[in-house]
Amino acid sequence: MSNTLQETQDISEIVNRGLKKRYRSEFMFRFYGVVSILFAVVFLLVFFSSIISKGYSAFTQGELNMKIYLNEEVIDPDRLRDEEEIRYANFDKLVLDSLKTYFPEVSSRKERKELKSLVSSGTSLRLQSMVLNDYSLIGQEIDIWVRLDSDIDMYLKGNIDVSLDESQRRISDNQVRWVQELQEQNLISQNFNSTLFTAGDSREPELAGVLGALVGSFFMLIITFIVAFPLGVAAAIYLEEFAPKNRFIDFVEVNINNLAAVPSIIYGLLGLAVFINFFGMPRSAPLVGGLVLALMTFPVIIIASRAALQSVPPSITDAALGVGASKIQTVFDHVFPLALPGMLTGSIIGMARALGESAPLLMIGMVAFVVDVPTSPLDSSAALPVQVYLWADAPERGFVERTSAAILVLLFFLLLMNSTAIWLRNKFETKW
Amino acid sequence: MSISLFLISIIFLGFLSFFWGKRKALLLKNTESLHSLPRYYGYYSLAWFAAPSLLIIFLWLLFSESFVTNQVISLLPESIRALSPNEITLRMNDVKNLAAGNLIAGESFIGLEQAAANYNRITKLVQDVAIYSSLVLSLALFIFSYRSISGKLRARNKVEKIISNLLLASATVAIFATAGILLSVLFEAIRFFQIISFDDFLFGLTWSPQMAIREDQVGSSGLFGAIPLFAGTALISLISLTVAVPVGLMTAIYLSEYAPSKVRSYTKPMLEILSGIPTVVYGFFAAITLAPFIRDFGVTIGLDIASESALGVGLVMGIMIIPLVSSLSDDVISAVPQAMRDGSYGLGATKSETIKKVIIPAALPGIVGGILLAASRAIGETMIVVMAAGLSARLSFNPIDAVTTVTVQIVTLLVGDQEFDSPKTLAAFALGLTLFVVTLALNFYALKIVRKYREQYE
Amino acid sequence: MKKSISIFAAAILMLLLPLTASAAARDTIKIVGSSTVYPFATVVAERFGKSTKFNTPVIESTGSGGGLKLFCKGIGVEHPDITNASRRIKQKEIDNCAKAGVTDIIEIKIGYDGIVIANSKKADVLALTKRQIFLALAPEIPHPNGAKQLIKNPNVTWRDVDSSLPNIKIEVLGPPPTSGTRDAFAELAMEGGCKTFKWLKDIKKENKKRYKAICRSVREDGPYIEAGENDNLIVQKLNANPKALGVFGYSFLVENSDSIQGSFVDGVLPTFENIAQGDYKVSRPLYFYVKKAHIGTIPGMKEFLREFTADKTIGQDGYLTDKGLIPMPSGEYSQFRSAARKLSTLSGLN
Repeated sequence: MSNTLQETQDISEIVNRGLKKRYRSEFMFRFYGVVSILFAVVFLLVFFSSIISKGYSAFTQGELNMKIYLNEEVIDPDRLRDEEEIRYANFDKLVLDSLKTYFPEVSSRKERKELKSLVSSGTSLRLQSMVLNDYSLIGQEIDIWVRLDSDIDMYLKGNIDVSLDESQRRISDNQVRWVQELQEQNLISQNFNSTLFTAGDSREPELAGVLGALVGSFFMLIITFIVAFPLGVAAAIYLEEFAPKNRFIDFVEVNINNLAAVPSIIYGLLGLAVFINFFGMPRSAPLVGGLVLALMTFPVIIIASRAALQSVPPSITDAALGVGASKIQTVFDHVFPLALPGMLTGSIIGMARALGESAPLLMIGMVAFVVDVPTSPLDSSAALPVQVYLWADAPERGFVERTSAAILVLLFFLLLMNSTAIWLRNKFETKW
Repeated sequence: MSISLFLISIIFLGFLSFFWGKRKALLLKNTESLHSLPRYYGYYSLAWFAAPSLLIIFLWLLFSESFVTNQVISLLPESIRALSPNEITLRMNDVKNLAAGNLIAGESFIGLEQAAANYNRITKLVQDVAIYSSLVLSLALFIFSYRSISGKLRARNKVEKIISNLLLASATVAIFATAGILLSVLFEAIRFFQIISFDDFLFGLTWSPQMAIREDQVGSSGLFGAIPLFAGTALISLISLTVAVPVGLMTAIYLSEYAPSKVRSYTKPMLEILSGIPTVVYGFFAAITLAPFIRDFGVTIGLDIASESALGVGLVMGIMIIPLVSSLSDDVISAVPQAMRDGSYGLGATKSETIKKVIIPAALPGIVGGILLAASRAIGETMIVVMAAGLSARLSFNPIDAVTTVTVQIVTLLVGDQEFDSPKTLAAFALGLTLFVVTLALNFYALKIVRKYREQYE
Repeated sequence: MKKSISIFAAAILMLLLPLTASAAARDTIKIVGSSTVYPFATVVAERFGKSTKFNTPVIESTGSGGGLKLFCKGIGVEHPDITNASRRIKQKEIDNCAKAGVTDIIEIKIGYDGIVIANSKKADVLALTKRQIFLALAPEIPHPNGAKQLIKNPNVTWRDVDSSLPNIKIEVLGPPPTSGTRDAFAELAMEGGCKTFKWLKDIKKENKKRYKAICRSVREDGPYIEAGENDNLIVQKLNANPKALGVFGYSFLVENSDSIQGSFVDGVLPTFENIAQGDYKVSRPLYFYVKKAHIGTIPGMKEFLREFTADKTIGQDGYLTDKGLIPMPSGEYSQFRSAARKLSTLSGLN
């Protein structure tokens, strides 16, 4: 008896001795878990702050208040008011003349060039379209805000270090001096960059916008939805409710699982080989992009729709069958309506994934330089994520902030789609 | 009649045919007993009405363009028809631009206006024929179906037959898609292997896919040994897994075993955000923010880290797949029966001991399956590596070197250069085939493990 | 519920409407070709699209060789209208074009571009000679003891090439063979260095093919790293790796003048003036080629030609010079300008 007591005491002593160590390892283990989560949290914080801090400045654009005299001698010396002639007029000269009124001392060719490149090269095109819209402006002095050149804008935003030697930076000492003088006269200010949302791509950062890419992405998503949603839902209904258990159906199931796991770039190869080379569809067109993305989203929608169908309790089916409904009636009149919100939720999340996808689009030529905003799914176009990719590669300093801004726009739309999905789920979700 | 008007009237008439069919059934109900519910008679008439219209619209979309073009060409002046077929397509582009009211190039040829007018006329004619024939046919078939409606008509069975066939057809699209992928990749890959031997591709140690594109160009014998690419892919995937597996697994364990529900409710959406960020954005982050940081860090500790180091790419890719690992692990961990935990606690084990000694061993097959799925995701990932990894196919296992991957090479080979008969372009498809087979095998195996594991505890 | 489904179906049909209405005609110019001309062509295209009523041409960068191959595939709307090239078209390519029915080609020279060998500003400026470039990058070089025999290039560092050069590994990032920059680099720099060996130069008379193979090949054992068609990428990589050199067009040097610097070649720096005056020898003309058959069928072709060859574009002070294009001497310019106006076609290489 005393022997066993002794043993018990021994054991508890052993246990107690080990206890501290065990508690410590318990604490450490828990600590690792917290660290893991913190790792992800910290990454997200760093990630978003890095993107936002790089991108927020792209939403404003430095502009210069200019008085430009629309000299008739330059625009239309023969007073013909002929559109073709006016198109070829030298509007650059008007801009330069106006700038020279501030800095009359400028004379050499180099200085003229530097002075002219204070403002965006799009300024003369803007004057041109103003004049073409309204001939009565000719001969008048107009007072407008014009966009500064991207390099100047970068300087104003503090992205160019002027303490470096002149040869090591993109703007000259003269330009720095002129800009400072203009600033002292309160002629320069940072205004909202509406171009970012109203223009297509451009080689000049200050003229570039994401509208073309947005419209291209929109066309693609519509095609994706039209093709993938009905097909995916129908396939899900068949597999979940009607499919017999046989080898053919097993084969279909294996195929769907595989499709869901195939790397997206392979879908791009499919698009290139089948849609473009075999069917001869146009390169760079949202139609092809939409079809490729539809094939990619198809298995996602099937899987989501099947989950939605499964979540409908069997009692509903049993009750419907019990009162004499046919199988199809049961499914379409009772199960499907109950599962539809879940299907839509899953599909929207799948479409959001498709919106962010760019690898397959690179394969089908959606990386071309397209300025015009597409008007139909057959026009050449970019897509939002591809625009991010293109801008990330562009050499101009001004595109760094615009890339981040395009990312913010992309993330905004993703957030919008996902929150729509969550809203749908919360609104229509039935707790059984 | 314009197309949109036609479509609207088809939709309208479709509704009408449904209601008429239903109405007749409702009327019949007074005199005889119906086999099906009245609305099925409506669907029955609708199906008869819609089928020919859909078929004709489909055929019209498919063939109208080429038919009209051929007709217009046959009406062109002799001098133009004598040109080569390619020249004629150019002239036709002119005609179509004029016909569509687009800007034309200015120079016109004799008969251009005439041809454009012909083009519009014939297009209109074909369109009218299509529209009216489909309307007439639809109406005729509708009348036929309407007359055949009787109490004995097994309308529901017929309609249901159509519906289930449509459903089956949708499900088989998956097979077509897989077949399409396999064939498109396989076909080009076979052409590649006719030029470059299979062994050279799979076991060659040098990847330098430069091919002279003109005969008189010198240098550049193409070498297509893919081992450096496989090694680079493996290296980057390995780094990403060493980040994602511990973090993802610990996150899952913490969330399912320790975390109070409040922490869970905040952490889960955060992980969802992590998985929702587009890969191109991860790539941008890796290239612009992380890679320079790692490089500078390397400089401070005296290491020469390449700016496209596998380390930076792998790190970001690892973060990208954390949510995948964590959600898959979460699933398998919560599938471990509570009884096993209770048994362990009953013996006096602490929570962490239970997790380490009971739950993880029990969930191990499922976790391994999850890791395999994550690996296949990492191998197939494209944008992050395209933007942040290098192009130099170096055979190196040093994480601070720049390596290249299979997906990067596919993109480089195919973007821009669209030549389809050179081994250089075809190599992309051979790489694609390899990628397809490897990810397929990984997934197949992983899903098998996970399924087997689930069955074990169900 | 059912009502909403039918409304939904109707909405989908409505969305399909615009699909059926779009015309099949092409009214946008399609351009392919050199990645060196790409930055110039895109600027012109954008201005053209914004200042005229025509659509903005769509441009894909495919490399000079790839572009010419696509260009020569045939006449018709599915083929590109214009291809850019950073070297002149070859007789073989003209023949290929003719085989596919592309016979009337308009050749327009837009200016010159220096090929620079550059490195990051974090490193010192290098002074190279063509001979050193050849010795560093050729697959086989003459035996150092002066014997008339070729050996496999043993040089690993620049010091191995010449004792005056720094002791760093030879690492040159350059374009692939599809690129016109690569062709021009091989022809001007490599062959230029090769010619300085008299006995190699003599081979040219006996066996032109062998001469070309010796003088224009680039080694494939590591020091020359192919960095793809994208010249931007090379620039970025140079920033990251101060020890490496890169080969690309002068325009990319201009665009990135704050971070990279050109090396001396034969004692001359690649600057605007040096290239324009011909002091910097490694420079090549840039071209674009137009299918005459497409003029008059694709809207805007003629006007695009006019825009691209206008004085304000490629003249002495044209806006492309801001982007790094070296303008032609005015005599040469007016010749090509009138060729563009008259749409005179290439009759043969002279």
